[in-house]
Amino acid sequence: MEDFLYFFSFQDPNVLMVVIGISLLSISAAMVGTFTFLDKKALVGDAISHAVLPGVCLAFMFSGNKNPYWIVSGAFFTGALSTYVISWVARYTKLKEDTVIASVLSIFFGVGIVLMTQLQQTGNASLSGLDHFIFGNAISIVREDLWVYGALATCIIVVLLVFYKEFKVMVFNRSFAESIGLPVKRLDFVFNSLMVLAVVTGIQAIGVVLMAALLITPAAAAKFWTDRLSRLLFLAVLFSLISGISGAYISFSLPHMPTGPWVVVVLSIIAFLSFFFSTKKGILTRWVSRRKYQSKIHRDHILKALYQAEEHDKKGLPQKDIVDNFPGKVVKTHRTLRQLKKKGYITNDRELVALTSTGNSEAKRIVRLHRLWELYMTEYMNIAPDHVHESAEKFEHIITPELERQLDKSLNFPKEDPHQSIIPRDQNKP
Amino acid sequence: MIQHIENPVVEVHDLMVSYGQNPVLWNVDLSLPAGSLVGILGPNGAGKSTLIKAIMGLVEANSGYSKLFDQELNQVRNKVSYVPQRESVDWDFPASALDIVMMGTYHHLGLLKRPGKKEKELAMDCLDKVNMKNFAGRQISELSGGQQQRVFIARALAQQAELYFMDEPFAGVDMSTEKALIELFREMTAEGKTVIVVHHDIYSAGKYFDWLIMLNMHLVASGPTAEVLTEELLTKTYGGKLSTLADLGEIIKKSGFNPLKD
Repeated sequence: MEDFLYFFSFQDPNVLMVVIGISLLSISAAMVGTFTFLDKKALVGDAISHAVLPGVCLAFMFSGNKNPYWIVSGAFFTGALSTYVISWVARYTKLKEDTVIASVLSIFFGVGIVLMTQLQQTGNASLSGLDHFIFGNAISIVREDLWVYGALATCIIVVLLVFYKEFKVMVFNRSFAESIGLPVKRLDFVFNSLMVLAVVTGIQAIGVVLMAALLITPAAAAKFWTDRLSRLLFLAVLFSLISGISGAYISFSLPHMPTGPWVVVVLSIIAFLSFFFSTKKGILTRWVSRRKYQSKIHRDHILKALYQAEEHDKKGLPQKDIVDNFPGKVVKTHRTLRQLKKKGYITNDRELVALTSTGNSEAKRIVRLHRLWELYMTEYMNIAPDHVHESAEKFEHIITPELERQLDKSLNFPKEDPHQSIIPRDQNKP
Repeated sequence: MIQHIENPVVEVHDLMVSYGQNPVLWNVDLSLPAGSLVGILGPNGAGKSTLIKAIMGLVEANSGYSKLFDQELNQVRNKVSYVPQRESVDWDFPASALDIVMMGTYHHLGLLKRPGKKEKELAMDCLDKVNMKNFAGRQISELSGGQQQRVFIARALAQQAELYFMDEPFAGVDMSTEKALIELFREMTAEGKTVIVVHHDIYSAGKYFDWLIMLNMHLVASGPTAEVLTEELLTKTYGGKLSTLADLGEIIKKSGFNPLKD
């Protein structure tokens, strides 16, 4: 708790610096990443984040220290080289793009690891902390780093905001963008550079490999919550900020904890929560609506059984008969009967379950939809009357009032279904 | 039958295009009158889309050139609009129908400027013209194929161009919408605009268009509908590819380089 207050009150200028740095880089990564994600270039982002490693090592070899200018230039050089190699090889060979990306990624990263091992064996004292560039260490950011990485991140954010609408058209519809005279090739170049830069800004704080996650995951998580680009960008930035700052805090409060993995852990939690609980497309939402639909089907079937009993001049059905009718669903049937009673659709004195007048008209509606659909299938789709029941069993639950009117109209308000059963209608409603 | 005219709005001169090693258009040479509704007809793989893409500079021509309003494309971009095929984009993109139509106003805006109230009103008007006003706020992936197509056409209208190239605007569109769109195109041509449409139904083509371009990798015909819609020309267009052209294409494909590219 003390740590928490100390960290978030920003009384320590070093902490403030770290937070500013990580916020800027989270924002820029999430913004670039949103467009990368929408342009389906996630794999390229992954390749770049691996390909900056040899650049970092080369910069060490040349400069002999951790000067951020050298590091950034080296990382940018090999990162950019990898995108160039990917597009060149994909264009001039018959290899598919995913193959090319996977190979370029592993070759560059492999070279990077070789160089790094080589460097570590030299035992040069100024090279301690070189492995920070693999997993990231936000706390090791010093003032000079902040200037370099912060300036880069700010540049990225400004460029993206300036070309917002241009990138939007280009990602959605490239040929249209070209047709209105946008310089798509130059914009491509700008965007690829931004992508490399976004990775480069994160190498110190997050680490080379894990930057791929910070690019793509915020946008992927945000996509579960919205379907407007501006909101998508905002949410991606928000998710990224939350995970960036909490990652920095965790590596600050726990000794020897790298920042990158913790940022990714927090980010993954956000992504999983979005995946499960999103109100639009989340797994949970879909599961709930499926459950609702299934209970509606069960309810409809009970009402139908009661209605058919009435058609055979019975007053209702004994509760036991209804329960026996749905083997394996005893609990569910009891529950549904209670719900139906509560809603006023049925009366139930255990001996006899019977429809009320509201229940009767609801049951009629379901039977009507079933029989209308059966008739429609025989009349319009040339399906034999003994083949239509199965389909009608399914569609009686989903046909909307509008579709019902449409069916009624195209069948000219029929009286009987293909099996000569009456299509029931409420007398008071035409 | 290739009819050339004076002061054409579109002039294509000896245009030759190949995709990779594969020649798809051979020496297309035609001119189109302003204010007409033009149909481009031909079988699959005849190069219909390629022709308008080449005119719009979206694919590179091996040789030949095209002129619009007697000028280079770059000088008249503000007067030209292009509607790509509906399938060419991912409709899962996070945007509403209105957002997409607003894209039609972008090139008038230029860099840095954001679309404002004026652009929004224009976009709404254009949505109204294609009967899609009620769907303005709808996420584009929730629209039906025909509705998406109409959004694309509304975006083209928002460009306020003089010359429209539309790649299969009737694909996935129901009959009544197709009629309404043709009606709209007629109104546009009556105002002196030129609308060029890639189409592949020969039966309706006779009723819809003033001028027809018939393609089958080479130009079979270009002229007023009444004059070119003949049995003979239709057979030439749809009766299989010229076998020599196909054979030559094969040779070029196998050659490992493209001799058509200088």
